[in-house]
Amino acid sequence: MKTSWKTMLAGALAAVLLTGCGSNAAESGGASSGAASGETVAAKAVTLKMFVAIPRFKQQFDQYVEQFKAKMKAEKNIDLTVQMEMPTADTAPQILKTRLASNDAPDIFSLHAINEIPSFYKAGYLADLSGQPFTDKLLDSVKSSVSIDGKIVAVPLETLSWGYLYNKAIFAEHGLTPPATLSEMKTLTETLQAKGVTPFLLSYSESWIPQLVLPLAAGALINTENPDFIDRMNRDEGSFQELKAMFDIFDLINANGTDRALEVGGDDGAAAFAQGKAAMWLQGPWYADTILKSDPDFNFGVAALPVNNNPDATMINLSTSTSLAVSPDSKNKEIAIEFINYVLDDNDSNAFYESLKFNPLATVHTFDSFSWVNDATEYVKQGKSYQDPVIPQAVKDEVGKGLQSYYAGQMTQDDVLNALDRAWKNYNKVNQ
Amino acid sequence: MSIKTNKSVWRLLAFVAPAFALYAISLLIPTIGGMYYSFTDWNGLKRTYGFIGFANFVDALTDDPDFVRSLWFTMKYVLYMVVLQNVIALLLAAFIETRRKSKAFFRTLFFMPNMISTIISAFIWTFVFTQVLPQLAERTMLTFLDQSWIGDPRVSFYSILIVSLWNGVGYMMIIYLAAMQGVPKSLQEAATIDGAGPFQTFVRVTLPMIAHALTICFFLTLNGAFKVFEAVYGLTGGGPGRSTQVITMNIYEEAFSNNFLYGYASAKSIILFVIVLIFTFLQIRVMKKREVEA
Repeated sequence: MKTSWKTMLAGALAAVLLTGCGSNAAESGGASSGAASGETVAAKAVTLKMFVAIPRFKQQFDQYVEQFKAKMKAEKNIDLTVQMEMPTADTAPQILKTRLASNDAPDIFSLHAINEIPSFYKAGYLADLSGQPFTDKLLDSVKSSVSIDGKIVAVPLETLSWGYLYNKAIFAEHGLTPPATLSEMKTLTETLQAKGVTPFLLSYSESWIPQLVLPLAAGALINTENPDFIDRMNRDEGSFQELKAMFDIFDLINANGTDRALEVGGDDGAAAFAQGKAAMWLQGPWYADTILKSDPDFNFGVAALPVNNNPDATMINLSTSTSLAVSPDSKNKEIAIEFINYVLDDNDSNAFYESLKFNPLATVHTFDSFSWVNDATEYVKQGKSYQDPVIPQAVKDEVGKGLQSYYAGQMTQDDVLNALDRAWKNYNKVNQ
Repeated sequence: MSIKTNKSVWRLLAFVAPAFALYAISLLIPTIGGMYYSFTDWNGLKRTYGFIGFANFVDALTDDPDFVRSLWFTMKYVLYMVVLQNVIALLLAAFIETRRKSKAFFRTLFFMPNMISTIISAFIWTFVFTQVLPQLAERTMLTFLDQSWIGDPRVSFYSILIVSLWNGVGYMMIIYLAAMQGVPKSLQEAATIDGAGPFQTFVRVTLPMIAHALTICFFLTLNGAFKVFEAVYGLTGGGPGRSTQVITMNIYEEAFSNNFLYGYASAKSIILFVIVLIFTFLQIRVMKKREVEA
């Protein structure tokens, strides 16, 4: 641990030194070329600080930034220098919050649309981007996730549409289709059991996986019969007893699942699912990469999880994660907004999003998406989708642990629900 | 004379200074800072925070069932670890002492697990518990091996013990071995001549002569067991739910994963510090009295 800290520190220092060198070199280079050409109008030098917490896409981002620099030079005669910072997702929120609190905000920064926009907006850290050209290109299903108080405050990069995953080969073999209600799901599990197929894969050793049932159940119920649940919870007036129905589907899944659930983690689960050990898995398509690594030809789909017998409540969860926002205190706000618009550029955005393997989210995106994305898009087109409900992270942590204990038989349904109420109340107390 | 002593004191201090400076910067100052923050409601980011006196401590002990539960779980773990680790280490040391030629071999063998970091050994054992043992049970009919070793809270306590012992016994064994080698042979021979058997020699001669090693080993195991983190983190992550959550993990969760209550988490750390202080203080007082010189 100590050594890794040292290495990281050394790495960070080296990076700082190197960026220092880089920008100096660029500036002096720009100055000398300006002096050499003499006659041409001296280019304006602008430095833009970016903070993007997805280091796995550094290559794609660097390339896109280069394209943007060339565009700025050609169109506005601006020598743009970009200081790109790409911390890992674990540490990024801490670093970013410290920066913002100490008045050292990056011009452009990434944040999680659903989880972070409300608190950042309230603290006044997000510039209003409404009316910018990019906003007209956004698909309606995405637009609301980056809007708050009727203002658009970020450009979305990564979107997720999810419910559960199912093995298309097993479903085809037995002539099954994803069920629309809870009782249809029950029949389906009985059919599968009768044919000797385990219906559900369970992987509960990491608490965030059982946790997934809460956003799905809460989302379905909030968007059908309980629309003001989140508001009332935030005012300490609601109770999770209202969402007790989520145990109906959770119990059904557990009763028809694989063994040793509490010893299987996400990666093991992905491997087992790819081997066809079960027909369905409560998981999002973000595991696609891992599943396809086990079996590149594996054919799976995304379907909406039924939570009760109302077929209208069986909907896909739409979530927007990484998005880019502009700091209102930015000294180069115009250029920063220029870049935000360039993210959804008519010519270049399509190739950019395709290279990132993100889902299409604007009218300018015409590339072919994966089959599981198309599955989910079918639901969205029928209007069977909702925005991921805004549940505090502390409550999500609690529900994961609670459902683990519930599965292990250590907590009753009421114990879990009370623990969740308590967690949300504590959250309210801390974040007044 | 007094000038001379003064000079040597300064010289000694100068030798200690570099180490002390490092110690102060990386341990002493943060500890004092932690104590200060334990009286505040700081959340790690806000530039303003309030001084709230003992409210954090009162909350932790009266209004936080998870913390109290993790405290009891840790106590149970400490009890098992202190007893088992020392008994097993003593037995191994005594066994190795009886070997003549293979001494070095066994010493290396039993010390080896200690060279692997705890978190790595936890991951190794996770594989053993989830893959190897169930397979073994299937092939050999040893059905008792087919447990939900890290999934069932009743069993996973023992899994954590197994890994911690496997990892920690070797070190204590080396200390006991060194102490046993310092026991004068003449005393043991005298006991044998007086008609004492090997067991009697061990209990009446060897044990009292290595009492100082017992003190050290009890201190180390007591101290270490209270601060256990990696073994539990690597095996069960405190789960399922919070059933195997130890204090350190509860503190970590409070500070870094839920509501970022740094002040509250600091208060819990201070509580842990005080508990460890009291226990080790008592232990050393009791055991120091029993030590004898050869």
